[in-house]
Amino acid sequence: MSVIETRNLNYTYSPGTPFRRDAIKDISIKIDNGDFIGIIGHTGSGKSTLVQHLNGLLRPASGQVFLNGKDIWEHPKKIREVRFQVGLVFQYPEHQLFEETSYKDIAFGPSNMGLDADEIDARVRRAAKFVGLREELLQKSPFELSGGEKRRVAIAGVMAMQPQVLILDEPTAGLDPKGRDTILGQIKEYQQENGSTVIVVSHSMEDIARCAKKVLVMNRGRIEMFDQTPAVFSRADELGAIGLSVPAVTRIFMILRARGYDVGDNVYTVEQARDRLLPLLKKGGDA
Amino acid sequence: MMLNEITIGQYFPGRSLLHRMDPRVKLVLTFAYIFAVFVPRNWAGLSVAAGFLLFTVILSRLPVRLVFKSVKPILPVILLTSLLNIFYVTGGVHLFDWGFIHITTKGITTAAFIAIRILCLISGSSLLTYTTSPTTLTDALERLLSPLKVIRLNVHELAMMMTIALRFIPTLIEETDKIMSAQKARGADLESGGMMQRVRALIPILIPLFVSSFRRAYELATAMECRCYRGGEGRTRMKQLHMKTADVVSVMFVLLLIALLFYLNYTLPSVL
Repeated sequence: MSVIETRNLNYTYSPGTPFRRDAIKDISIKIDNGDFIGIIGHTGSGKSTLVQHLNGLLRPASGQVFLNGKDIWEHPKKIREVRFQVGLVFQYPEHQLFEETSYKDIAFGPSNMGLDADEIDARVRRAAKFVGLREELLQKSPFELSGGEKRRVAIAGVMAMQPQVLILDEPTAGLDPKGRDTILGQIKEYQQENGSTVIVVSHSMEDIARCAKKVLVMNRGRIEMFDQTPAVFSRADELGAIGLSVPAVTRIFMILRARGYDVGDNVYTVEQARDRLLPLLKKGGDA
Repeated sequence: MMLNEITIGQYFPGRSLLHRMDPRVKLVLTFAYIFAVFVPRNWAGLSVAAGFLLFTVILSRLPVRLVFKSVKPILPVILLTSLLNIFYVTGGVHLFDWGFIHITTKGITTAAFIAIRILCLISGSSLLTYTTSPTTLTDALERLLSPLKVIRLNVHELAMMMTIALRFIPTLIEETDKIMSAQKARGADLESGGMMQRVRALIPILIPLFVSSFRRAYELATAMECRCYRGGEGRTRMKQLHMKTADVVSVMFVLLLIALLFYLNYTLPSVL
């Protein structure tokens, strides 16, 4: 059963002014429970607009969003409930921190849910553990932390609501390679341990290849592809035509194949490449 | 989001005659028009002034609806002044008397007259910002105020501060929108609750907004220093302002308008 479904979503920014801009057009997707979805697309392709529809921050001009089979706009007054079930981490989420301590900031979401103090405490500590925040950092002001730590506090703030669906908009933007790896690993771990659905918007094909099971490709507000990760990355030419690309490793393997080396296809991560190349090198060395 | 609805001070790019006019001339003429709106003492004069505004709106090629939209936020003010005028101005025929309340023909006339005057005032001045980008506008202001350098007023820095302030209004609106969305995604409730609860609900929005404003200010200062900005002295401009025939013609046009309004005052009886 699909946890999120959209039917013919349309949205326009600043309708009726010279700045009018169609953001998304006719989006119909189904996302299954427990899936890990990657969304890729050019800047301005409507990725961020789409994810803001999924938790009811934006109300579609036309079309519907279903959460567990129910139209989320059926009772507009209860839209807050939807936001607790579909957690959204914005781009540069560290800009939204405001509390005196990181602990209180992570507790902001759970306390808005009206949980009791013990439950809030348990959730905050659990979320902090997921993103690897040490106990002493929790008692510090979020403004004293480093960039990567701030980002982790902000992500924990949404994880602490324990949403059924966790959406992250460019969670690794502006981080160093080590920070990227850490955060992606933590998100993956969170998904496996909770069995929740995770949607990650990213510009990095490497990030998507590493964690996403399915990939949604957007172009000019429309869905270009929505398929299993290998199937999407095997269409390198089409991706190139809309200004996207495949992971660098995949490109290397395509060139190797074009030059007549029998390395096979479907290689999207460095680990896969290692596993594929090592036996070949060994064979070559023996011969 | 309601924040997108704010149109006062917004610039709508275009290529119309009004857009291409020298901003200095436009600024002075807007002030002249504001003055002109206060001249008429009879309906003929007021219609001429309002007609002139309509003419400029057509020249600007902006949707008329947009110009009316700028009036929306101050409608309550107009309504209030109209009501006060109706109740306080007496004279002419009494239409309605009840206790201390007297509604007279003169009261209604005055109310309508002043309402139209305010409408012209607001739409006229918003037409200036609709057709002039903020940077050009402050540029013009700097030029017009430059004689004040004599009294040691740092006109350049004043204009620079204004440019920066104006430049950051949309950025701050966007930022506020983003922070509001982010906190709403964490279940912040901004719409319900009593007075105190609503004020407290603003904290998660105001603190990040302050923090990011300071960060932006530092970044901007660094960026300006990196490009060797050191105030107005000896600074040249990429875009020089030039007066064109159209500017001269429009100056004469507005002068004619004011002369006509005075003439109408002189020949026709006052209704106020």
